[in-house]
This record gives sequence, C-alpha cells and structure tokens, in this order.
Amino acid sequence: MPSSDNATHIVRVPRQERTQMAAILIVEDDMLICELAGMMISDWGHDVILAGDADEALSVIKSARLVDLLFTDIYLKAAIFGGCKLAQQAVRLRPNLPVIYTTGNSITEALKAQFVAGSRFVRKPYAAAQLQGFITDALPS
Amino acid sequence: MTDLAASDIVETVPSALIILDRNLCITSANRAFYQTFRTSRSETEGCLIYDLGNRQWDIPSLRTLLESIIPHRASVEGFEVEHDFPIIGQRTMLVNARKIFRAGDHDGFILLAIEDVSEERVARKESKRNSLLVQSIVDTIRDPLVVLESDMTIVTASQAFLTMFGITQAETHGRRVAELGQHQWDVPALRHVMEKVLPENKPFENFEIEEDFPGLGRRVFNLNARKVSQPGNHAHRMLLVFEDITDRKQRERDAVSLSNEVSHRIKNNLQLIVGLIAYEARWTAKPCVQGYQAMQARIGAIAQLYDLISQSSHGQSVAVDDYLREIAKTITTSLLGESSRIEITVQAEPLEIDPERAVPFGLLVNELTTNAIKHAFPEGHGTVIVSVALVDNQMELTVADDGVGMRDELPVKRPENRGADYVAIFVRQLGGVVAPPSKGGIGTTVRISLPLILALPEADSHLVV
Repeated sequence: MPSSDNATHIVRVPRQERTQMAAILIVEDDMLICELAGMMISDWGHDVILAGDADEALSVIKSARLVDLLFTDIYLKAAIFGGCKLAQQAVRLRPNLPVIYTTGNSITEALKAQFVAGSRFVRKPYAAAQLQGFITDALPS
Repeated sequence: MTDLAASDIVETVPSALIILDRNLCITSANRAFYQTFRTSRSETEGCLIYDLGNRQWDIPSLRTLLESIIPHRASVEGFEVEHDFPIIGQRTMLVNARKIFRAGDHDGFILLAIEDVSEERVARKESKRNSLLVQSIVDTIRDPLVVLESDMTIVTASQAFLTMFGITQAETHGRRVAELGQHQWDVPALRHVMEKVLPENKPFENFEIEEDFPGLGRRVFNLNARKVSQPGNHAHRMLLVFEDITDRKQRERDAVSLSNEVSHRIKNNLQLIVGLIAYEARWTAKPCVQGYQAMQARIGAIAQLYDLISQSSHGQSVAVDDYLREIAKTITTSLLGESSRIEITVQAEPLEIDPERAVPFGLLVNELTTNAIKHAFPEGHGTVIVSVALVDNQMELTVADDGVGMRDELPVKRPENRGADYVAIFVRQLGGVVAPPSKGGIGTTVRISLPLILALPEADSHLVV
C-alpha cells in the first residue's frame, strides 16, 4: 500500500465487489447544495462522499477509499479554479477517474483548457434528471 | 580670348551680377540680373543703384552695405537684404560684394552678386514652423511615443515617453526599443509585428504587454504602430505609441470578477432552489413528479437565458440569431446529448430584441422546442426548425418539426397540456399572436407573430426595413 503522503504515487484501490452502484465524491463549498446533491445521487443508488473543499477531497483521493467518479464545483471558496486543480491532481493519483465539473459561471476557453481529458461539465443550476444523465454517461458501463 | 571667356561666364552664372563704379552707378549687369528684377540694360546702365526702377533699390540695409561696410573691407559675403520690391514683391536677397581694382585705377569698382533666396527662406521658415508644430503636438500627446528608423533605432521620443520611463532624449537616441529599461519590450511577438510595419506597411493596434517596469511597478501597455512618410523623402519611419491601460485593465478585471461573483451567488441560490424542489419530489405522489421535474428544468432555463442574454447582448439589445443558436445548443446538450438522432436547426434573420423581453422570448422558444422534442418523435429521430423572420413589420417566430403531428385538441386539462398554457402566457407577455395551425403537412408547426418593440425608440429605425 503506497503512502498517502506521497503525491507522486498512484493510489491503488483494492479490488472490491462492484455492484450497480458507484462511489461518488462530491466537492462543493456550499454545504446545503452539497447535501442536496448528495441526496439526489444517493437516491439513484450510489454511495456518496461529501467534501467542502479541495483539501478535504484530496485526502479522500489519497486514501484507499473507493471513488468511481469525481463531481466537483469549479469555484471553491477563495480558489477560483480550485475544482480544476483538484481534478488534475486527482487524475494524476487515480488515472481514468471520471470527472464532472459544475459552475454557475460562464465557461471560458481558458477554463476549458484546464479540464482533464474526457471530463464533462454540467451548468448550475442543474436539474436532478440532468445530473443523473451526466453521471450515468460518465460512469464506465 | 580671356575677356570673352570671362563675359561668357558672367552671362551664364545663375546669380544676378552688377558692377558699380565709385559713385555707386551701375556700369554693367548680367542677364540673370535683368531677368530676376525684370529690367533692361538701357534702364540699368549708368543709373545710380538707388534710382533704379523707381528707387526700389533704395533700401536702408543696402545703403549700409555699400556706404558703411564696403569702403572699409575688400569683400562682404552673405549679406542678407530683405525688401518688398514693387514689381517682384517680398524678396530675400543674399548679397556678396567684392571690390575690384584695375591697373592704375585707385577708386576701383564694386562687384555685387545678388542671389534670390526668397523661396529657400520661405521653405526654411515653413519647415521650422512645421517641426515646431510637430514637436509641440508630440509633446502634448499624453501617451508616450517614439519615432523609429527602419533599423528600429529611436530617432526621437516624446516628453511623455521620457518622463514615464525616466530617461533623457540622449539616452534614447540611436537605441532600439528592445534595449530600453530592463529589456521589457524585447518580446519576440512584438518584434515580429514591428518588423512588418515598414516593409509591408502593416500597422498594428492593441498589442498588449503586461510587465514590471522599474519605478512604475506592474503596468499594462497597449502598443500601436504605423508607418510615417515624409514628403520628398524616401526613407520611412515608424511611429510607436505606448498607451498605459493599467487602470482600465484593472477596472475591467474588477468588473469581470464582480460579475463572476454575483453570477456565482445567483446560480448557487438557484441550485439550492432546484435542489429543494428535487428533495420535495422524493415525498411527492408519482403523478406529480413530472411537474417537479419540469419546474427544475424551467429554473435551469431561466438561469441559462440570463447567461445567453449577456453573451448575445449588444449594449441595449440582444441579437436574436445568436440568442436562438445558444438556446438550441443548450437544449441539445441538456435534453438530447451527443448520440441523439433529433436535431435542432436555427434559421434566423439578423433581428434584435430588447433585454426586457429576451427572457419571456427565450422561455417561449424553450417551451415550444422542448414540447416538440418530447412529443413529436416517438421513434427517436427527426428535426426541429426554429426560425425567426421579419414578416409585415412583425417578428415571426416559427417552431416546426417533422414528427408525428398533433392529435386533436383535448378539452380536458391534462398535466401534459401545461406546456401549452405556458406558451399562451409568454405570448401574451410579449404582446404576440399565435397563428392558427395549418392543416395537413408533416409534423407540427407553431407560428407566432411578435411586435418589434424595442426599449430604445432610436433603435427602431434599423429594424424597420
């Protein structure tokens, strides 16, 4: 098991029995939005891990916990592109981790350039059905 | 032979020559003199110089030369005489005088060579005035500027340039812009555009450089350059202007970050509302769930319409064509997805709508298009055409699909008819009229006429054709 402090090592998650449901890490600085998103997602049968900022999320990524998808807000408190940086670090540690970004702000080309390869973007405010569609598409079948 | 040659020379020199005896009477003059002063040999020879041509040569400064200076000196060169001659007008003459003595003649003669330098003097004055004017214009321009030679070295820098960068004119002269300060201007991209200004006559504008400048701090400069040509001179020079846009840039950045902040908060609050509706839906009886879902989608649509309005807004109005394309793109991504075989096409004339009405207009398009997608294509493929055209001075919005078509209207209020209710509300709000459905044909076509009223009365003129 690699040290969780060593950021250059890829975190290896022990193989677990996969069911239909997935473990989804939700990163959102507004805790009420975070809780409500968590509730929607768990209603569809997934496990949710809630994080209020990038550091909290990174400690989950660095741990051995199962994470099948990262759903992160881009604008995390003081960090304007906090979600982008987090996803880049997360993918370095867990290659092929599906990422869905969200923000209410407009998406510029400069921002898009920071997105990790193969990631998706859902605009705020997102409806439950919309998010469900994005998550279904992002998870490996 | 020698005498002949001398007279030939005298006759051919371009300067007017006259020879005076000791009494200042003209003994002879050359052709150039007669031509320049429009006189003749008979009028001239033997005449006292002051009496010549109605005493027009009785000039105080000439008297000084002939009576006070010449007697004491063998020669005088470059004596300037400025006089308003009655026939030939204001003239500036350059007079060279030389005393000539012949053998056995003690009194001698005076040879006067008179050169008309009037035009040269006028040109010189003009040029001096121009250069003063240019320099004062250059110095009053608040933006620092430099004039460069074709080899990119500095010919001159404006006072504003010298003040801003704390250097002297001497320190700039002959140096390249790239060598100034701490080589902040030594940027390959700038060099590239500057090299094209003279050979290709390609001016550039708005070349932005953000750097730390000693004594100035972090600054943003906007550089503009163009070729300047001097009349009669084949060498071209370049005018390079440095506009300090630091404050403007900061204001723009502040405005963007404020609008991002506001947008972030609004969207988060809307997300909260959508989340709460989704939460309520969990405890709601199944037949009502669809209504809760539609509500979430409509809140999303309103939020997106605000973004689209700010993107398509041209100051006071919103470009309908851009706006429709953005709405279509949003519906495609949120409802259809990449693999969908349902396509939304936009055909729009370049019309504009006031921001006040842009939201209900967007909601109307959203409702009609969403209805078409939801009900017209049970097979999962087809096309929805959203078009806007100017018809009889009204804006006509058409949403047409090539789907299964509408079944007969049902008098009973059913949940799925709420879309039609919303359409009616939005049309009423926009002051429009729904055209009666046309019978026959493929699919469903909804045609709505909307008045072209804009918030600004002067904006009407460019809409009415």
